[in-house]
Amino acid sequence: MSSQRETARGFPALFNIPGTRALALVLTAAVVAYLAWKIGQSPPQALQFAFNGIAVGAVYALLAMGFTLVYSTVWFFDLYYGAAAALGAYGVFYLRTSESLGSRADVNSVYVNAIFAAVVGGVVAWVLYTILHPRLRGRFSPNTIAVAIGLLGGAAGGYTGLVLAFPGILHLTLSPAIAASVAVLAVLVPYWAVQTFVPSIRLARFAAIAGLPAVAVGAWCGYLTAGAPGAGLYLSWAVSCLLAGCVGLALYRGLYVYMRERARSPLIMLVASLGILLAIAAFIVIVFEAAPRPLPTAFGSETWKIAGARIKGFNVFGIGVALAGFAILWLLLKQTSFGRAVRAIGDDEEVSKVVGINTTVIIAAVFFIGSMYAALAGILTGHDTAVQPRMGLLLLLKGWIASVVGGIGNLYGAIVGGFVLGVVEQFGIWDLAGEWKDAIAFILLILFLSFWPQGLLPRR
Amino acid sequence: MTSTRAGQQELALETREISKHFGAVRAVDELSLVIPRQGTTSIVGPNGSGKSTLVNLLSGVLPLDGGMVIIDGQGLRVVKAHETPDHGLTRTFQEVRLFDQITVWDNIMVVLTERRLFPSLFERAKPSTRQKAQAILEQVGMWDKRDSLAQDLSYGQRKLVEIGRALAMNVNTYLMDEPFAGLFPQMIERVKDIMKQMRADGHTIVFISHNMEIVRELSDRIIVLDSGTLLAAGEVEPVLNSEEVIEAYLGA
Amino acid sequence: MPFDTQRIGELAGLMRNPGELARHTRRNIEFWASLLILGWAIAFMFWQGAGFAVIIGTVFAIWAILSVSLNLVVGFTGLLSVGHIGFFGIGAYTMAILTSDPAYEQLRTEAIPTFGWPFFAVLPICAVLAGLAAILVGVVFNRFRDDIFVLASFGFAIIAFNVFLNLRPVTRGAFGIHEIARPQVGGWYFDGELEFLLLCLVFLAVVMLISWFIVSSSFGRVLTAIREDEQAIEVFGYRATQYKLAVWVISAMMAGIAGGLFASWTTFIDPNSFILLESVLLVSIVILGGLATIWGSLLGAMAFVLLEEGMRFIPFLPTEYIGQARQVVLGILLVLLMLFRPQGLVGRYRL
Repeated sequence: MSSQRETARGFPALFNIPGTRALALVLTAAVVAYLAWKIGQSPPQALQFAFNGIAVGAVYALLAMGFTLVYSTVWFFDLYYGAAAALGAYGVFYLRTSESLGSRADVNSVYVNAIFAAVVGGVVAWVLYTILHPRLRGRFSPNTIAVAIGLLGGAAGGYTGLVLAFPGILHLTLSPAIAASVAVLAVLVPYWAVQTFVPSIRLARFAAIAGLPAVAVGAWCGYLTAGAPGAGLYLSWAVSCLLAGCVGLALYRGLYVYMRERARSPLIMLVASLGILLAIAAFIVIVFEAAPRPLPTAFGSETWKIAGARIKGFNVFGIGVALAGFAILWLLLKQTSFGRAVRAIGDDEEVSKVVGINTTVIIAAVFFIGSMYAALAGILTGHDTAVQPRMGLLLLLKGWIASVVGGIGNLYGAIVGGFVLGVVEQFGIWDLAGEWKDAIAFILLILFLSFWPQGLLPRR
Repeated sequence: MTSTRAGQQELALETREISKHFGAVRAVDELSLVIPRQGTTSIVGPNGSGKSTLVNLLSGVLPLDGGMVIIDGQGLRVVKAHETPDHGLTRTFQEVRLFDQITVWDNIMVVLTERRLFPSLFERAKPSTRQKAQAILEQVGMWDKRDSLAQDLSYGQRKLVEIGRALAMNVNTYLMDEPFAGLFPQMIERVKDIMKQMRADGHTIVFISHNMEIVRELSDRIIVLDSGTLLAAGEVEPVLNSEEVIEAYLGA
Repeated sequence: MPFDTQRIGELAGLMRNPGELARHTRRNIEFWASLLILGWAIAFMFWQGAGFAVIIGTVFAIWAILSVSLNLVVGFTGLLSVGHIGFFGIGAYTMAILTSDPAYEQLRTEAIPTFGWPFFAVLPICAVLAGLAAILVGVVFNRFRDDIFVLASFGFAIIAFNVFLNLRPVTRGAFGIHEIARPQVGGWYFDGELEFLLLCLVFLAVVMLISWFIVSSSFGRVLTAIREDEQAIEVFGYRATQYKLAVWVISAMMAGIAGGLFASWTTFIDPNSFILLESVLLVSIVILGGLATIWGSLLGAMAFVLLEEGMRFIPFLPTEYIGQARQVVLGILLVLLMLFRPQGLVGRYRL
């Protein structure tokens, strides 16, 4: 697989004139100097551009982080990633239609609910199977295990269907789930913390001590949620992120696994995921129509004024989300055994398999997390502007560019690349119409691919 | 343009302090060696001693980090892959690199046809070219398989086709990267016969092998590499019996 | 290969032996796929009547020119380009601007330069301009491979779309260019749909002939070798970059011709005809029909055009969603193909 990482290097260009790199540097320097001059001319406007750039860059950074995580693990371009962004954004629209469009007719559809219920049910069943099967194998008959897991998966699917079918009362339908997950986390997080000091402690014993307070905390959280109808919007964020993640995981486990066994080249995977992107985007148009739609107003619609430049509160929140997303991914990848496994798979999947890493599970988790990041970026974009069925492809490409600019496979590179791309786009349109910014992004990409294919921060 | 006329007569290849680094690893380290014209030269050495890297450098597949290669009397600091046939050089690959999804026939034909872009648009397979391709395929015993896709052949057959493809180039010097690796004894004999025939036709052969019996049987001269440097070179028996070579091989 | 005599002989032999024919064809997806799509096309002609079939036929011819030309790059040279629609757009805008009628254009608000040249003088210019753009793009793209090439070609499609949309003084941006002239030779005016269909079919035939000429030459063989192993073919004395650039430019010129025909046929173009999605659909057609065969590209274009009509049979599907449903089907088809038949229906090259 190593050759795939060197795709951009490889062969010299046709006219490999010795001075091209120097020329590119000089031209870039000239553009930068010109911009510096313009910044000197009107600093407030420059600050405005910088704010806009950082606001957009936050979304790009989120996209790039998820993208680079997936790409540097499996080394093929998964275009579903773009569909995940659109799914995330449309998930919020789907669950909050009445808020977005006022009293207009509901788009809620039994078929859509059934599809997602089936996906979630399948994913839950598979996750339970991979976790429980090795532990229960000796004790129960295979049939018992299959029936139990099937029932649990079915229950999860049914619950998902229920949540999707009544989007108006998300705070009620989701409160048991929140209570349960808070309770579980309230056991697990302290357990991990304690484990670092007392390695010998067993989970069962710890749960016996911490279980009761954890359940109490969980129940309290569930109660709070149930009493807060206003939380519906934010709950819908979580729901649609999880749904997009589940679809990503299901695609990996149900399709990509088999495809990768046979695929001769990463292009097969690319084309197949292109098909998925086409299908999902068209599916979204069928369900929601092609016109752009607004998402309900979240908080932060007020603008703040800093040194003469404006920034929307929601954009500041977006930057916060990007930084938090980076922190979470950093913790996951750099501080846990999961992260070590992910990097091992990225370096050499076969060897990782041999040394006992369950590559299927780890990669499935990577797809889940990556798709969630895409969905989150889609939601942020949707709130900032509007949702559009075709938004996925362009968001995907921006994430892709940002990760190339930052250096593919490098987490720090992804966040840097995202902000750099956002800022360059904004400064690039200083003298041009705003519609040129996609072209500027791609010119930046082609410059990087031609002269700095490793990006700003190369992978190790 | 450094070498003299006389040198051109005697030497097929010469390297002067060529180097190649992969990160901190010095795969080939200021290596200077000469390969005389005609006859068979084998390159041996432990794994990772830079044999394949050397062949890749000579054929322009990898760029040189330093030093100079003198091919056919021409001193080159940059070896361009597509110019190596003009210098009378061709090669086979360790991991057989055929054009997988075209037929065996086309695999041979493709190296026999026009190199210039525009004339090649108007060139159809000429009878003389077809005859050459047929002769090559018959020589390597792959004529029956001419219509199979290269990817459908067995490993040994692929090696034979690759050798045939190199033969079709009809140049002076052949670099063969492990032509015997992974072959059945029967196939080994066949490849040996082909190489002996090539030698008899007055070509220069440079091959890499781990099999000392074959090396003893085929080569006129031997080059021993170790960690990217030249350990010994010269006649086969004295070199193979010298202490340092035995030491390097036994890893003492 | 369209003129595969050995294969025709084989089939003729099979015809005489019905049992063997049945067994042979059951296994032969290529045969059945071709038969199905051709039968579908013929059935469609009888069903919808000649008038509509002529319009569908023109759409098919233009898509077919595009997909045959793209197959040279994707199927034969192995460069998965998603930017082909850019060259198509360059051809279309060249035709629209150079044939635009000064008398009409003066009435419009945002003036664009007008020339009023005749169709047949402009068509070669469409090809040349698309080719020049291809040289520029190709020189930069020559060093990219595999998925990086895909990304870069996405970039070209988007940059081209941005130029069409934002270069208002030349393209009139989102308003588009209206009243593009139909071709005219002497007194004969190609305003009828049938005449235009014939014109398109003639150009399709020319493009197919040129493609066949290219792929059956030594040049074509080198292209397939580049597709398989670019580094190895360099070692045997070919400059792969030159070959790649040459086929890239030829293919772009064909797309430019298709663009010129398209602009003249619809008589109205705006940037929405050249969005990235169209390019993605085009690549899907090429892969669906079959990589590295000219016949496959025809089949793919035919299937794509007829798919929309076939959708009308699906009950409960509102007509306005037929185009979308086609994309869903196409997407699922792509996934299935990649799983079970990565060379497409009648292809000779597995991705």
